[in-house]
Amino acid sequence: MVFALQIILNGVATGAVYALVAVGYSLTFTGMRVLNFGLGMWVMLGGMLTYTLYVLWGLNIALAAPIVIVALTGLGVICERFTVRPFLKAGSEAWVMATLAVGLLFIDFAELIWGRDPLRVPGYLGQAVVRFGAFALYPQQILIVACTIAVFFGLDFFYYRTLFGRAFRAVAYDPEVAELMGIDARRFAALSYGAACGLGGFAGLMVAPITLVDPQMGTTLGLKAFVVPILAGLAAPRGILVCGLAYGVVEGLVSGYLFSGVRDMLACALMILILYFRPEGLFGAPSVERI
Amino acid sequence: MAAAAAAMSAVPAAAGDTVKIGFAGPMTGPVSAFGHEIERGMDVAVEAINAKGGVRGRKLEVVIRDDEFDPVKTVTAYRDLIERQDVVALVGSANSASMLAVTPLLNDNYKVPAICVHTDATAIIHNQAEASGRDNYLFRLGMFGSGQADFLVDSMVKKFGLTKIGLLTWSAGYGQIGRKELTRRLAELGLKPVADETFETGDTDMTAQLLKMKEAGAQVIMHYGTIKEAVAIFETRQKLGDPMIPFVSSWGIAVPALWKAAGDLAEGTIDSNVVTTDGPQPPERQAIIDAYHKKYNREFDDPASFFDAYDAVMLFSIAMDKAGFEPAAIRAALEQIPSYRGAGLVVDHPVFTKDRHEGYSLDDMLLGRWTNGKFLRVGYDAEGPFVMPSEGVKKHIDPTTFGPK
Repeated sequence: MVFALQIILNGVATGAVYALVAVGYSLTFTGMRVLNFGLGMWVMLGGMLTYTLYVLWGLNIALAAPIVIVALTGLGVICERFTVRPFLKAGSEAWVMATLAVGLLFIDFAELIWGRDPLRVPGYLGQAVVRFGAFALYPQQILIVACTIAVFFGLDFFYYRTLFGRAFRAVAYDPEVAELMGIDARRFAALSYGAACGLGGFAGLMVAPITLVDPQMGTTLGLKAFVVPILAGLAAPRGILVCGLAYGVVEGLVSGYLFSGVRDMLACALMILILYFRPEGLFGAPSVERI
Repeated sequence: MAAAAAAMSAVPAAAGDTVKIGFAGPMTGPVSAFGHEIERGMDVAVEAINAKGGVRGRKLEVVIRDDEFDPVKTVTAYRDLIERQDVVALVGSANSASMLAVTPLLNDNYKVPAICVHTDATAIIHNQAEASGRDNYLFRLGMFGSGQADFLVDSMVKKFGLTKIGLLTWSAGYGQIGRKELTRRLAELGLKPVADETFETGDTDMTAQLLKMKEAGAQVIMHYGTIKEAVAIFETRQKLGDPMIPFVSSWGIAVPALWKAAGDLAEGTIDSNVVTTDGPQPPERQAIIDAYHKKYNREFDDPASFFDAYDAVMLFSIAMDKAGFEPAAIRAALEQIPSYRGAGLVVDHPVFTKDRHEGYSLDDMLLGRWTNGKFLRVGYDAEGPFVMPSEGVKKHIDPTTFGPK
């Protein structure tokens, strides 16, 4: 029992990371029907930037965090303008390649600036292990779970309780009608892309003390986190939180009770099975088209 | 065509020309640190040889090609090095797959000797030519897969007295080859791993694997993998608290970057290697370490790659001094060097023989224990294993915890 609970507890912490990254995919999909396939590399850039600000320059994390978020949001808006919008305008699908290319560019860029060795970022709440009875977590793991939940609550509030958020959902539902209602859909697209990049950077900042940072840190993480919104439904933020946490827990349990070697295989098989029966994702609303 | 080119390259150039030794390795890309470290080892050796007048009155020259860690590009680079640049000997690339790709070329087409460093796949040296009794042009200085597994298992079982061994290996090729070799050696000693766990690239939490190790009563974790996941293991190990299971790894992570990434978490962990630059050193090696720091003004990325490349060039020069500059003659002469006191390798028996192209034997491998950021060689006396932080100071370690006694 202790064995299982210990694994579940740590699985939740791992899953929170997946969920936090996964929001980024959902945001751009909701706002503009686009996926940033290079999102993992934005997470990496956030982690690297955190290393410079927090470790090298010794800035307080309360100061470093807003800098990372604002910098990457700004960079995201610029990237949307030059690497996504032109293709959307032309009705081309080349943005798929362009978002990935930007990510690959970041890897080379990071290798030039920070080198290739993994770098260490100390936990923001210290390194002392928190123990409750037989269970143990790093303070950073608790912080990640808390921040992830806060981000999701914030997002929920934004979508359902603010005018801006409602407009956002209107754009997502039908950009043309929304434009007729006086909403500037293009600006919403740029903002959602920027916000996704900023959140990616924040995710990088949060996971840095747990994963170490290096130019390749975003590749696997970005890919794994991509499974979560696909499972949950890309436009279902609450579902993404649940699926993200569950994914982390299942990973741990498979490693614990079966064999760690079959873990990713089982996860992928499960995903295909779920999508076979629910193509819109576990929490996604089936799209109804009137003809 | 290739044979004709090889024949042409075999024609000795006029006296006075430089003699070229080639290296094709990753000079750009994620693992370029190893390529540059090998290049530095070759450069320092060539400088030392040329300062003494070269070999038979001719200066040596290093010719470098970038293979980007890509076996296809290694093959192209070897073509260029041998057919156009007329290199008479090669230091092997930093990628086992690259060396496996060029092994038949070297043995069957070009007949130019290569001393491998850094790469540890067993099959590079135990190749088709060796199996069929033809001249084998491949040699190695450094760890080799099966030997390293034998060394790790034997050290833990026979020297440390640990028999409950848990395997924790990377699911990628390198880790799984290691896992197979470790399991084989354990079976030869009548043992079975008490736990056999793997992890994936990018895994950050090892709770499940380590809990299983604890439940199985593992006395030591034996690891084959890369630095990043090793640090995740250290973190989880610390989190799960005392008693922490001792950790021993193959040389894949035994580089200064490990301490840079893990810091104190690596304290007391042990890795295998063929050389260490920390702690008291024999004067010959200390002189080369000092020369390295002076010339490059930097710390080592991978001491083993540097010293093995240095020794490879030195051994080539000894062979050329004896047999001249014809590649086949160099190959034959490499098997005739009676003893060698080098930067990394020190042996008072022949370095290579006709039947043994591995320069290092199990006796020449070492365990190093991370102690305050230093990778200190583990020695043994009547009281058990110890490390020596400075000359004459012995710090014994508890074989059941790897901590101080």
